[in-house]
Amino acid sequence: MKIIPLKKLFFLIAFLYGSFLQAQTITGKVTSADVPLLGATVIVKGTNNGSSTDFDGNYTLKNVASDAILVVSYVGYITKEVPVDGKSVLNISLEEDESALDEVIVVGYGAKKKSLVTGAISSVNAEDIKSVSNQRVEQALQGRTSGVTVSSSSGSPGSGARIRIRGTGSSGSSEPLFIVDGMKVSNIDNIPPSDIENLEVLKDAASAAIYGTEGANGVIIITTKRGKGKGVKVNFSSQIGLQFLQSDIELMNASQFVTYMNEAGITSVVNNGVDTNWIDAVFDTAFMQRYDVSLSGEAAGVSYYASVAHTDQDGIVSQENSSFKRTALRINLKSDVTKWFEVGVSATTSFIKRRGVQENNDTRGVIQNALVLDPLTPVKYGVGEVPAEVFNRATNNGFPDVPLLTTSYGAVYGYPTYSTGETLNPVALADVNRTLNNNNQFLSTIYGKFKILEGLTFTSRFGYEYGDFSNENTITPYFVASEAQNTAYTMSESRVRTKRWLWENFASYTKSFDNHNFAVLAGYSAEDFEVPTVSSRTGSIAISDFTGFDLNLPGYNVDDRTENIVTFRDNLVSMYGRLSYDYSGKYLFEASVRRDRSDKFPTANKAGTFSAFSGGWVLSKEDFWGDDSSINYFKIRGSWGQNGNKSNLSGNSDLISITRNINGLPIDYLGQGGAQITGFANTNLVWETSTQTNFGIDLRALKNKLRFSVDYFKKTTEDLIVSDGSLITPGSAGFTSNEFNAGTIVNKGLEFEVGYANNDNEFKYQINANLSTIDNEVTEILFLPEGTSIRGAGAPQNDDGITRFTEGLPAWYFFGYQTNGVDPTTGELQRVDTDGDGNITNADKTFIGSPHPDVLFGGNIAIQYKAFDFNLQYQGSLGNDIFTSYNQPSRPITNKPVHYFDERWQNPGDNATFPSAATITDAYDTDLMVEDGSYMRIKQIQFGYTLPQSMAKKLHVNNLRLYLSLDDYFTFTKFRGLDPEIGNFGFNDIGVDRGYYPTAARMIFGLALDF
Amino acid sequence: MKKNIFLTALVLFLGFMACSDDFTTNEPENVEDLETFFQTEDNVEAAIIGIYDLMHLNYSRDWHSAFLVKLLPGDDANAAGGNSSDQPQLQDIDDYANISTANGSIESVWNNFYTTIALSNLVIESLNESTLSNKDRAIAEAKFIRAWCYFELTTMFGDVPLRLTLPQGAADFGLAKSTRAEIYVQVESDLTDAIASLPAKSALADEFRFSKGAAEALMGKVLVFQERYSESIPFFESVIGNPSHDLETNVADVWSIDSEFGVESLVELGFVSTSGRDWGNIAWGGRNESNLHIQLMGPRGDGIFDVTGTGLLNGWGFNLPTAKLANAFDAAGDTNRKAATLLTEAELIAAGGNVDPTSATGGVIWDYEGAIRIKYASRAEETASDGVRELNYSTNFRVFRYAEVLLLAAEAYNKAGQDGNARTQLNKTRNRAGLADVSTSLSGNDLFDAIVEEKFLELAHEGQRFWDLVRWGRAATELAGTGYAPKNDLFPIPITEIDKNAELTVADQNPGY
Repeated sequence: MKIIPLKKLFFLIAFLYGSFLQAQTITGKVTSADVPLLGATVIVKGTNNGSSTDFDGNYTLKNVASDAILVVSYVGYITKEVPVDGKSVLNISLEEDESALDEVIVVGYGAKKKSLVTGAISSVNAEDIKSVSNQRVEQALQGRTSGVTVSSSSGSPGSGARIRIRGTGSSGSSEPLFIVDGMKVSNIDNIPPSDIENLEVLKDAASAAIYGTEGANGVIIITTKRGKGKGVKVNFSSQIGLQFLQSDIELMNASQFVTYMNEAGITSVVNNGVDTNWIDAVFDTAFMQRYDVSLSGEAAGVSYYASVAHTDQDGIVSQENSSFKRTALRINLKSDVTKWFEVGVSATTSFIKRRGVQENNDTRGVIQNALVLDPLTPVKYGVGEVPAEVFNRATNNGFPDVPLLTTSYGAVYGYPTYSTGETLNPVALADVNRTLNNNNQFLSTIYGKFKILEGLTFTSRFGYEYGDFSNENTITPYFVASEAQNTAYTMSESRVRTKRWLWENFASYTKSFDNHNFAVLAGYSAEDFEVPTVSSRTGSIAISDFTGFDLNLPGYNVDDRTENIVTFRDNLVSMYGRLSYDYSGKYLFEASVRRDRSDKFPTANKAGTFSAFSGGWVLSKEDFWGDDSSINYFKIRGSWGQNGNKSNLSGNSDLISITRNINGLPIDYLGQGGAQITGFANTNLVWETSTQTNFGIDLRALKNKLRFSVDYFKKTTEDLIVSDGSLITPGSAGFTSNEFNAGTIVNKGLEFEVGYANNDNEFKYQINANLSTIDNEVTEILFLPEGTSIRGAGAPQNDDGITRFTEGLPAWYFFGYQTNGVDPTTGELQRVDTDGDGNITNADKTFIGSPHPDVLFGGNIAIQYKAFDFNLQYQGSLGNDIFTSYNQPSRPITNKPVHYFDERWQNPGDNATFPSAATITDAYDTDLMVEDGSYMRIKQIQFGYTLPQSMAKKLHVNNLRLYLSLDDYFTFTKFRGLDPEIGNFGFNDIGVDRGYYPTAARMIFGLALDF
Repeated sequence: MKKNIFLTALVLFLGFMACSDDFTTNEPENVEDLETFFQTEDNVEAAIIGIYDLMHLNYSRDWHSAFLVKLLPGDDANAAGGNSSDQPQLQDIDDYANISTANGSIESVWNNFYTTIALSNLVIESLNESTLSNKDRAIAEAKFIRAWCYFELTTMFGDVPLRLTLPQGAADFGLAKSTRAEIYVQVESDLTDAIASLPAKSALADEFRFSKGAAEALMGKVLVFQERYSESIPFFESVIGNPSHDLETNVADVWSIDSEFGVESLVELGFVSTSGRDWGNIAWGGRNESNLHIQLMGPRGDGIFDVTGTGLLNGWGFNLPTAKLANAFDAAGDTNRKAATLLTEAELIAAGGNVDPTSATGGVIWDYEGAIRIKYASRAEETASDGVRELNYSTNFRVFRYAEVLLLAAEAYNKAGQDGNARTQLNKTRNRAGLADVSTSLSGNDLFDAIVEEKFLELAHEGQRFWDLVRWGRAATELAGTGYAPKNDLFPIPITEIDKNAELTVADQNPGY
């Protein structure tokens, strides 16, 4: 194969500079139904000479030959070709394109008209996300479609988000499958939102079944931008912004804290004149900027899209220490080499540098420390104000060479005046304990599409993904207390690669006769994935020997575990097929099947088959449906199907093996190597299977201005895969079981999407809203005796854990003591004796809240008037709870939110909601720590201004839009913590607030430019 | 061309289909096949080391060790720590208060004993048909450790599941409890086999391994715990008559780094200071070759205990001696052994140190009764001189030593009516501590009382006291006023065991929990 695209690019450049022929100037106005159209494109056919209309619909074109033809196009309207015929003024009227309402959406291994879709699929397109200020695609998805829960795992820049489609299914991985330009990818953090053309969320089993073993948690298909239309188009967009904390949280101030501690009997705490607000101390205003440039178009049969996107975002905690920098390059090419052969390439390379602080840690996190450190501790000591005891503390504890905690310019950080234990000045902690992630990824796919016969095509597509991820953590020495110390320079580094290739071959055939339309797809694919560990080392070096953080330097005591870490491997071979049929676009039917063979299961269970059926009936196409009905389109549809999930299984669960390492460390006793077994075999491990039924209605009414969809689904996920075998193995068995199938979860709910758009007048507006309900319940637990539950997330000094997995209750609900108010006589919180045995024991702990929302909602209002536009977008959840778990029972001298103070019991007879200061530690495992996490957040308020065409012309640009945006600024919630949008890293601690890095509010100035 | 490309694709594609079986098989890496593992002597040795390593983990695991769980109910030690709610699961055990069925330390100890047992079972099962040269010794070692673990379990939990084979899968996980009597039968049977095949202490290839003498001593102890005193005597006599076993000359040396695996040692767990643990690589809850417990149990720093002049480093403050213990030393006129066990506040100040309660939470040093502990103290010379000293202590735990054998023997002789022999054994530890012989007229119950008192002093902070008080029926009197109740004679069976073991229900829980 020749390298055609490059050559054609040269042609294109030649075109650009060579087409200025002598000719006349043409002006005119583009309208529809007498309303001027802003931004319609007028191009001289066969050239790159073009323009777009201003807000009065006017255009001007120079150098137009008298026999030229103008091509006038506008999104949603039928493109018109008008001969110039020597005229100098050409007014053109466009007609609305009814079929444009019938967008084509991407489905697995193909595309389909939306009107013919029988499954539940939501789409988001480039237009929707073009001016978001989120740097990650997952976050840009939040609140835009029904049935999709997006919760950030952290608000720190560049951190990922957890996406749940139709509730939590698996206990292992509930992440959906990501497909980018047909290629399965490990993650999507390297894709700048600006490169996305559209994004489809396949929600029901029928849509996802073509992805077999991996579709159970839904599928997100991302299609990146392509070159479209003749000519070259350059897009430049940029955002600069400020980020800051926008939270109502208030902690006790110094005098409240002293009172509280004294009431708790800790009279040693006295006012010292210091009153630090640690929230103010830890959070800063941070800068962010983003630049995206793309070049796209089509020349000589090659369509191309090339882009560079750069993001640089500092964090609101410790600025540069929690920052995100990403540069992504992309090129997408497509060419019709011959009439029967099309070839395309997509390639992207990205470089991410992310710095982080310790977070989501209930004893040693930066934000957790800000929440608990006493306000009598200064952020920094003034010159000459370092207490002698602090000055000598390290020496007095036997570490004379450990330096003081100081800022980069030498000021000494405040040491906790009263708080003890692990507690540390959070500003200092962010400084001494740093993490750097470098993440370089490369992804490319190439495909060839053969048109063998009329209607029959064969596509072979090969994708390769390569990633290089490194993580480095460094801690400088300090001595604050015996539990808050690091008496050497320590560092750890790990580096893994990901390599995946996926080769897919599929044929599709379409045939129509007598209103019968058939489409058949059959394919075969093979995938190979591995994650080798390049390095996994930790090390420390004595202070006197330290010259820099590099484990290769002499003097480092290095613990190298690289050799002992097993390469993760995953292989999958699949066959799949699909039959779609419709009669006259009226009666719709589809069936699909996929058979997968994976290395992750015991031999007898390696292969699994997944099938799905769906049907639809477009009533509005029936004769009895009057053309004059105010309902223009009406479809009912239903589907049933099965998907699988192999979670993140490591494989070989059916074997008992002998290992000489535990977590990469050799088993060693006094210099001799030992061995032990890895775990008990499970020969019965099978796929996690989810069976889903879906019913839906789609309609459009009022001249297609109103769109409405509703779906009901019930998704039963059986044989949930759980990796942690200790959850079912009694201690007396000695070792733990390998991965096992844990039980069944049912998620069911309703989803609504409604939109109304009116573009008839100069005042154009659009209102969209979506709402979903989810009901999550564990209906069966395997292996464990009746009535028992699986223990989930832990909390400090709480042996029972704070989440549980129990039959008849939501997955990983909050577990603790119910309470019955504060005893007015004693000021103690009264725990409920739920088992009625007369004693309060841990057997009384029970359900005290659910992290799962009952309702998720989102929507937007967009208005455009002449050159001005406005967009308001919101999103939220109702009915979910949050468990606050940053309080340490073992550290009594710690600060707390001010309502602990305001609402506390003080004197006998008080009717208080919070217990006395002396007994508050007994509240940490009760429902008093559970708060309503419902919230509504205005994701964005944006004002935009598009430069009038006449002015744009003077600047030699086609289109220039400027906007100002307030993102994540307003939040309505009863939650009294930092941020109600608690995501989390683990599967079993959803909604647990361990000192969550809050989402930053952002004030953004943006600019988008086409020329 | 069209045809060629198409054909090539088709051929490649069918090729994949044909080999998809191999393609979708990934053999486990970095591990060995159990089926063939036990076919070399070296591998058998590795499995035995694995068992030792698990036992080592169990007695020293962060704040969930068998060492502390056995010790804290006794009246020789307080949990102490940073404050009254520091490691509440340990405070609860110390105070007999609200011991939860989910107590993390009790659960960890239960689980780790069974893990040690499971690996022992694997070795015993796997070598059944073996012809390897080290088969007999390996089985004997595994049986000794299995017996040790079951004896500890039944002492602390009463009736427990008796697992003697490795589960083959989830179907085998459920197992009902066996009675303590049944457990004892198995323990004795395992010890009989161990005694038959373990090498004598003088013949040990590695000093840390358990010898025939250790097995005999344990057999004697198990019989004493069953009040089968005369049966126990021959086992003690065999140990005592063996010149490889003796007391260290100087009582202060018993727990020192110089006497590791020395003449007094029977079951000792070894630690090293050379594994380079730091705050980045310390394995919380996992296996560290260093002894993190020494740091956990070092005198609390943070301005509270200034240990200048003592040669100690500060730690996290757990495991302080009780006033009762200090007073008992004084009452016995026992100065040498007291000095090897604890250091009073006056002695600390005299050495150049200090005590400042105002630095403690609320101005009170929790659980401090006027002395810090010296036995297993955080000695600067027992950790790495460079590197992160607080995480690299190498102090060994002597969990069963000859002095205890002498006192068990004394008890057995006394109960069997041989008071002369009892006094002989009792006087050995007394003399070593610098105390005179007991009166030759001391006999019967009075002699028994003297043995009880001697054992209190000799084995203070070693985790024996409480379990002795229970079996002697003296817990209620000795522990009066501490919160002790008869239900505390046994720990609760961890709720996780009851939840996950299909053969157990809450009705199987020990009484009172």
